[in-house]
Amino acid sequence: MTAPTASTPQTKPIKPGVIGWLGSLADAAMAAPGAYRQALRRHRRRTIILTVLLILAVIYPVINREFFQAYNRSSSFPLPFPEDAVVTFMMIFCIMAIGLNIVAGFAGLLDLGYVAFYALGAYTAAFLASPHFGSVSLVLFSNVPPGFPGIHLPFWMLVPLGFAVAATFGVLLGAPTLRLRGDYLAIVTLGFGEIVPVVFKNLSAVNLDFGPIHLVNANLTGGNLGINPIDPPRFFGISFGSSSGIAAVYLGMILLVGAIVIARNLERSRMGRAWMAIREDEIAAEMMGVNLVRTKLLAFGLGASFAGVAGVMQSSYQGVTTSDFFMFSTSILILIMIILGGIGNIWGVIVGALTLTFLDKTFLPYLGQRFQAISPDLPNPSQFNFLIFGILLVVMMRFRPEGFIPSRQRAAELRHAPAGQAIGSAAVMGDAALASEELADTLAAEQVVEVETEAAVAADEAAEAEPPKDTP
Amino acid sequence: MTVPTLTGDLRTGVLPEDAVIVRARGVTKRFGGLVAVNSVDFDIPRGAIVSLIGPNGAGKTTFFNMITGAYTPTDGEISFDGKALITKSRNRVRSKKPHEVTALGIGRTFQNIRLFGTMSTLDNVRVGLHVHMRSHWWDAVLRTPGMRAEEQASIDRGMELLELVGLETRADVWARNLPYGDQRRLEIARALATKPQLLLLDEPTAGMNSSETAEMTSFIRRLREELQLTVLLIEHDMRVVMGISDRVTVLDYGEVIAEGTPADVRANPRVIEAYLGRGAAAGA
Amino acid sequence: MDQIAQTIIIGIANGMIFALVALGYTLVYGIIELINFAHGEVFMLGSFIALVLITTVFKITAGTPLALMVVQVLIVIAITMLATATLNVSIERVAYRPLRNAPKLAPLISAIGMSFVLQNVALLIFGPANDGVDRILPNINVLSVFGITNVTISAEQVFVALVTIPLLLALSWFVTKTRQGKAMRATAQDPDTAGLMGVDVNRTIAITFLIGGALAGAAGVVQILYNNTTVWNLGFRFGLNSFTSAVLGGIGNLQGAVLGAMVLGLINAFSDRYLAANWTNAIVFAVLIAILVFKPTGLLGQQLADRA
Repeated sequence: MTAPTASTPQTKPIKPGVIGWLGSLADAAMAAPGAYRQALRRHRRRTIILTVLLILAVIYPVINREFFQAYNRSSSFPLPFPEDAVVTFMMIFCIMAIGLNIVAGFAGLLDLGYVAFYALGAYTAAFLASPHFGSVSLVLFSNVPPGFPGIHLPFWMLVPLGFAVAATFGVLLGAPTLRLRGDYLAIVTLGFGEIVPVVFKNLSAVNLDFGPIHLVNANLTGGNLGINPIDPPRFFGISFGSSSGIAAVYLGMILLVGAIVIARNLERSRMGRAWMAIREDEIAAEMMGVNLVRTKLLAFGLGASFAGVAGVMQSSYQGVTTSDFFMFSTSILILIMIILGGIGNIWGVIVGALTLTFLDKTFLPYLGQRFQAISPDLPNPSQFNFLIFGILLVVMMRFRPEGFIPSRQRAAELRHAPAGQAIGSAAVMGDAALASEELADTLAAEQVVEVETEAAVAADEAAEAEPPKDTP
Repeated sequence: MTVPTLTGDLRTGVLPEDAVIVRARGVTKRFGGLVAVNSVDFDIPRGAIVSLIGPNGAGKTTFFNMITGAYTPTDGEISFDGKALITKSRNRVRSKKPHEVTALGIGRTFQNIRLFGTMSTLDNVRVGLHVHMRSHWWDAVLRTPGMRAEEQASIDRGMELLELVGLETRADVWARNLPYGDQRRLEIARALATKPQLLLLDEPTAGMNSSETAEMTSFIRRLREELQLTVLLIEHDMRVVMGISDRVTVLDYGEVIAEGTPADVRANPRVIEAYLGRGAAAGA
Repeated sequence: MDQIAQTIIIGIANGMIFALVALGYTLVYGIIELINFAHGEVFMLGSFIALVLITTVFKITAGTPLALMVVQVLIVIAITMLATATLNVSIERVAYRPLRNAPKLAPLISAIGMSFVLQNVALLIFGPANDGVDRILPNINVLSVFGITNVTISAEQVFVALVTIPLLLALSWFVTKTRQGKAMRATAQDPDTAGLMGVDVNRTIAITFLIGGALAGAAGVVQILYNNTTVWNLGFRFGLNSFTSAVLGGIGNLQGAVLGAMVLGLINAFSDRYLAANWTNAIVFAVLIAILVFKPTGLLGQQLADRA
């Protein structure tokens, strides 16, 4: 993260209070055209390309409806243009990718159970905007007629509620992991990621006789069948649910813009620097006054909250949610998005999310249809999506672990791991000793070449290296 | 606070309470069967530059780590500026956590440089400012005027500190791309950002040649004078130790074997024996 | 009371299968500090290989004469163990060895990817449904020999013990008494120094994967002949239980892995019987989380020095 030097002139004094804040927003809005012109001057080609892409992205749903879908319907060779539902899910997954990027990309905490927070957000909306709790009736600011069974809160209330519920659980589920090392932390988060959906699935027939609570075969969560129908988002009388087509896509885009702004602001703040510091060297960060517990819990909580909002969007948009939507493979899918796209970089993970959602929901099913059209015996690639994703993971880790559009920091970290972390770095020397003895081992021939280059590097490093242990 | 004139006896237990910034009594650290620090009593007078020396393995960095809260002692008590860092109650020793210790006013550098390599020089220093900044995450999300003012102030203060150590032209360079000497100075700037009253320097001149060492030595002296800091050094380079220390304490096998002025300590036969062996002491 | 005894017997039998797989996890983690996510899938593929061998190649059925059955089963075990050993070594070569110098989380993520690949390969070849064999071993209650009829130890359960116990003993002998075993323990303690002392670290690691894979293969054969069923995502449940066993016993500790496996076998059996199979996985996860948070060194502590 580059910081302006003190020589950057401060254009206006910063006014305090709410008025000052509104003023700064107005200033930013008025400075935007100037900043854009400056970007045009400095990086002409890149700015133009990005502007065009942005415009295309924003008008895509309309173009799709008017031209692409009509083309697909009438042509004998349809093309894989993503439909409205897929584009809406692209927005949902982008929001989750940005959230996981805060936990894993900014703070360096590998969360393998992210889907739990997605589920929590979805069920929050399901509980609070559906006829599910039929024995009560609470209708607030919703166009559901009063007296209708169930709790019905409007979408604009559900979003912050989903945010808060997920954030709370993010802190709760993150707390036990604070003192764990990387792989153990990953396993514990994986565990929570499994337990939460299982709990939702199994609370479909609860018998509880505890004090004032008497539940007999209470269906708390709908189990496998889930909860439906869930109220769609509604603004100005227009529904933004799945039946609305384009409107839902634009609602998703608005939420995504909000997510990007929040994430960027967090990145360029005191907290963002603290996250980077603990990712680099947790002990040094603590010595410099960073409260590890609070900083890590904040990463977990804020990261989870994005998934909570995404979950609210999912269940409101689709009108239904069940525990089958929230599986371990979904956590891994989002992880792949940020790894493929570029870990640590907001734009990178967005590209990753768009790409993978397109692959998973449009392109692979499209291939399946094409294959089926050729011959019904050919396998359907969309059923083996995780075969492809698994290969993708292995290949990415091997050749480009930082992703395609990484933040420069993470790229640097992943490509030059400190020598002390390497396991078996002396394996090279062991091989050299034995290589002369192993005659028929073809591997030895490869390793001799490796040995020569690596030995040279090792010799250089040994000359500069400091003793690894602190003298007590 | 004016730097008190440090004449007279500075040895442990001699000075009155308010002239001492760190008071350690009976500090012990056992790692399993190994006693790394054995019942050490230690005072650091305010405004003094104190050196902690001893052969490798004597327990110096372990002692440092106990002051900063990285290790919890097996026994003993430490107080800083009148506040307790390590307390003992009913056989349980409790230590403040490192970030709390830093907030109280103790800053440190590391024997093996621990900078945040892929952050810029300026940002490394700004992490040091974290503990005294007040913005919360919601201020960051909304970019409130208070937060933006604090951010700008942190940039200004960071640049001031970089100027102090002579790194203001390298503000945007990644820390790990700095040459070694600059990295050492950046570590000090980062430690100074935490607004310390006491600065712990762990082998600040390791790996430096004589002119760099002389620079660092006079720099440390300047720090004490201009910023009214108290400094505790771990050092192996005797020129530095003898050159700037008001007081020297010698550890060997985790115990204090000598303390006093540099001249006292240099002539002490136990010290010579610890460093050079029995024969050398006999011949001294 | 009989029910409890029966549940215990079932628990121990399954525990032995967990033990064979858990050893693979603990050996690999001990030597390169990697959680081999794909190990459960190696076990699953082993069970499919055994299935194919039993039903299609050797066509072993309940009617096969006992002597021939024994010989054929032994051959099946040998072939399966060889196949899974080779598979595990290949996985190491492809997915983990190139990442030895990478930050620790890279091989973990690669392992996750590998796990998905193997699951989908099984899905591709064998389809989504459960697959199995009918009962092959004679349907007898070994305990009836002692006059006990209300509790059963089936021939299958004896078979499980007959396969598992010799393998555990052989492993123990190998690790403590042979030169290669010493090399493994040295590499687990400190790979750099072991390399400097002339240990071929690459080959030692490969042998560790080979042994782990072979044990998983044996477990696969046992799974088919005892539980009579397998499916493409079997590896998830067994992997979870076996990894938790290894952690419970103290990761890196071989005796611990076996002890932990017994405990987990019992937990599974009791949870399936007295709660509901739906909850069992969640309970095992809860146990795993509890151990990692409260006593990460496990019951028998870490046999190996903790490399921070």
